[in-house]
Amino acid sequence: MPEYKVIGKPIIPPEAYLKATGQAQFTCDIKLPGMLWGKVLRSPLAHAKIHFIDTSKAAKMPGVKAVVTFKDTPGLPFGTGIIDDWTIFARDKVRFVGDEVAAVAAVDEDTATEALSLIRVEYEELPAVIDIEQALRPEAPLVHQHAPGNLANRFFVERGNIEQAFTKADFIVEDTFTTTQVYQAYLETMNAVAHAQNGKITLWASTQVPSKLRLTYAKALNIPMQDIRVIKPFVGGGFGAKFENMVDLAAMVLSEKSSRPVKIVNTREEDFIAGNPRVPMKIWVKLGLKKDGTILAKEVRIIAGNGARTVYGPPIMATACYRIDSLYRIHNIRTEGLLVYTNTVPTGCFRGFGNAQMTFALESLLDRAAYEMGLDPAEVRLINAVQSGDVSAHGWYISRSGLTDCIRKATEASDWEAKRLSPKEGKIKKGIGLACCNHVSGNRPFFRPFDGSAAIIRIGEDGKAFLIHGESDIGQGQNTVFAQIAAESLGIPFQDITVAEVDTQISPFGLGSFATRGTVMGGNGIIAACQQAKQMILNHAAAMLAKPADNLDIVEGKIIVKDTPDQHITVAEVTRNYMFSHGGAPMIAVGNYVPDTVLPDDKRYGNISPVYPFGCQIAEVEVNTETGQVQVTGFWAAHDVGRVINSLTLPGQVHGGVATGIGWALSENMIYDSNGHIQNPGFLDYRIPGSLDLPNQFHAIFIESDDPKGPFGAKGIGEPALNPTAAAVANAVYNAIGVRINQLPLTPEKILAALRGKND
Amino acid sequence: MKKEPICLIINGDSYDLFVPTHRTLLDVLREDLGLMGTKKGCGEGECGACTVLLDGQPVNSCLVLAIQAVGKKITTIEGLASGNQLHPLQEAFVQHGAIQCGFCSPGFILTAKALLDSNPAPTEQEVREAVAGNLCRCTGYQNIIEAILAAAKEMGDAKNA
Repeated sequence: MPEYKVIGKPIIPPEAYLKATGQAQFTCDIKLPGMLWGKVLRSPLAHAKIHFIDTSKAAKMPGVKAVVTFKDTPGLPFGTGIIDDWTIFARDKVRFVGDEVAAVAAVDEDTATEALSLIRVEYEELPAVIDIEQALRPEAPLVHQHAPGNLANRFFVERGNIEQAFTKADFIVEDTFTTTQVYQAYLETMNAVAHAQNGKITLWASTQVPSKLRLTYAKALNIPMQDIRVIKPFVGGGFGAKFENMVDLAAMVLSEKSSRPVKIVNTREEDFIAGNPRVPMKIWVKLGLKKDGTILAKEVRIIAGNGARTVYGPPIMATACYRIDSLYRIHNIRTEGLLVYTNTVPTGCFRGFGNAQMTFALESLLDRAAYEMGLDPAEVRLINAVQSGDVSAHGWYISRSGLTDCIRKATEASDWEAKRLSPKEGKIKKGIGLACCNHVSGNRPFFRPFDGSAAIIRIGEDGKAFLIHGESDIGQGQNTVFAQIAAESLGIPFQDITVAEVDTQISPFGLGSFATRGTVMGGNGIIAACQQAKQMILNHAAAMLAKPADNLDIVEGKIIVKDTPDQHITVAEVTRNYMFSHGGAPMIAVGNYVPDTVLPDDKRYGNISPVYPFGCQIAEVEVNTETGQVQVTGFWAAHDVGRVINSLTLPGQVHGGVATGIGWALSENMIYDSNGHIQNPGFLDYRIPGSLDLPNQFHAIFIESDDPKGPFGAKGIGEPALNPTAAAVANAVYNAIGVRINQLPLTPEKILAALRGKND
Repeated sequence: MKKEPICLIINGDSYDLFVPTHRTLLDVLREDLGLMGTKKGCGEGECGACTVLLDGQPVNSCLVLAIQAVGKKITTIEGLASGNQLHPLQEAFVQHGAIQCGFCSPGFILTAKALLDSNPAPTEQEVREAVAGNLCRCTGYQNIIEAILAAAKEMGDAKNA
């Protein structure tokens, strides 16, 4: 692979200095003159009719500037582009504890909070349905009239002939797995600042999808898209949650009503009960294998929980149903998924987007199959691993697969064979487990109008480039990767690139940060813009130097004449000359990238992503058989990232994904009581991993498969970093104590119960 | 609502304030004084994002009333660097990729400062224990731990030089 000047180097994100010194401004740090505090009144009931809402007392309270309910909104149903089952504030019913009923804007937070207590709502409580399986029963209360049987969505896909394939199988295994509703737990809760002026609204949003917010909110507010300006300051983490949300809309409606800027910041409890946590699933899987471990057939049924309205449940369930079919060479497949409404918090994206749920199920069951057949679980993966050039059962073209290398490197580095076969003695038993994953970098059907990305490069009189994109850095270092790609493409130093804050007034329509798409989509768009910018620079330099442009190149900010190495001028000299001879116009190039993907047909066939990342993770655990506690003591994560763009920040993506996966595996779960109240809406009772809960021995290993479709060969990393973690941990627990727990999380109670069951 | 006149010493500067007795130090720092480097992650003392130093000791400023901080030396993240010269911990966090979204970083850096002030050469386990009350969802703590150990070494080397 070629050696680059900026690509692959350990480049420090420039904003890290701002973050280390407390200067970085997040949305919740914004203070505008005259700004009011907003607060949302939320339903205390999981399901109820609203007979009336009396806001008069709250409105009269000194310091209160606006009180709003559904009646203050256009009243149009809208959604995220899938099912229009949202309204701004509850219309006549509340459907989950935390549902938005009204909102207040006041001069300070205390006044707004007090005003909420003065709003009188008369509810008529209705029977609620909390459990996803109960929601499908004929007698279950209906969450939405438009969805009989509480069915929000159904997915079905079939390939090959599974009946025939199962009859040919030497070994058949099946089991049911439960994955929990878990919370993304970004440190900056959902919050927004909105300012309505002259019929137009500016929204400062903590978001992964600035342009999509504008689209959705224009529909909800019944105003033209151009009347909404979305600005994205620094974002304190998202992990999938920060898409369209009611906090933004409440702030916008309050600002319209009060004509003042309004800030709303969710409390942590509000964020738990009314954020967009992970779609919980119950997954039944059946596999048929040959004696050597080759998978012949796979049958899956999934029930998934949408919560009380549709955030991104349908594509998340679809992803759980069929994305994993590009991990192994499986061609006989039948999968059915049912997405159900319940009177619980609406569920949405969380790193892994459904694939993480299915990876836990499949990788746990495949592990069991390997052990029961007397095979090495790593060998079973190697036999089935997707290879470069494969076309999967659903028509996905795998231009490069580094999966086999990931498995080999991870097993070598972890001393897999010896540790797996070591005797398990004593009260504290050691075990080692492995799981693989695949993912996408872009998801063509996610936003039906398009996938791809565009960028604008503006070069001024100093030869430095301003890079304008519409994607979203939410803390993962996306802007630094983009600047590296721009610097390498233009031939100028990294320091000469400034990345603009995303502002829909100037940025291209970027789809944003999801589907592990940023680096590949955004990066390719930036390369396209840079190629044009570079040609503009060379053309103007050619005129200045009286040399043909194709005899020129840009190296480290200088235009060199290829056949006259000592002759050069700087990029700054060229761009200054251009600007001053063009009435002050900067050089501007707009480039775009449209991937060669397709919208899947009505049978779900079609290549949805230009590149596909792969990974293999190995967890080493210690299980205390007296207390049931599991400690992850070692971790090896090998990932096919195509090409390392930033060697400083890339390992951090893997560390963070694995840490979240360990939390999912061992401790995290949003627990409901029978009335639909979440019992643990805070960090004390909902434990995310802390510094003592994670392994000291952590090894991130990168496989560079150099994908021709990725920018400089790169694929994405965000979601694959988490996808296989829970299965790797569960498989390690099995290796240690010889029992399998198929219901996340693997709590001490479950471990002890399983051990008792084994000994009985 | 009962209010009291108080004087707070923050990063060496004194501020005369008239605050409700129930107002937290965090709210005074952020809302009254605009010192936004101190973050509010939960408001319940469970995440450590609002950590500041009171007479050198790390506290969750969301659990401290402003009136309780009278007469104490308050250090926030804005007070750590000397002019443009970053504190070695800040520099180490930047250099070691310990900062992703950055929302937890001020709290971690201040907790780590209190640790290194009392234990200049901690072991990895001591570092992990010291920051156990600070939550981070981005980094898995790996690079944060490395950064703190590197800063300890750097500060130790500078002292011995």
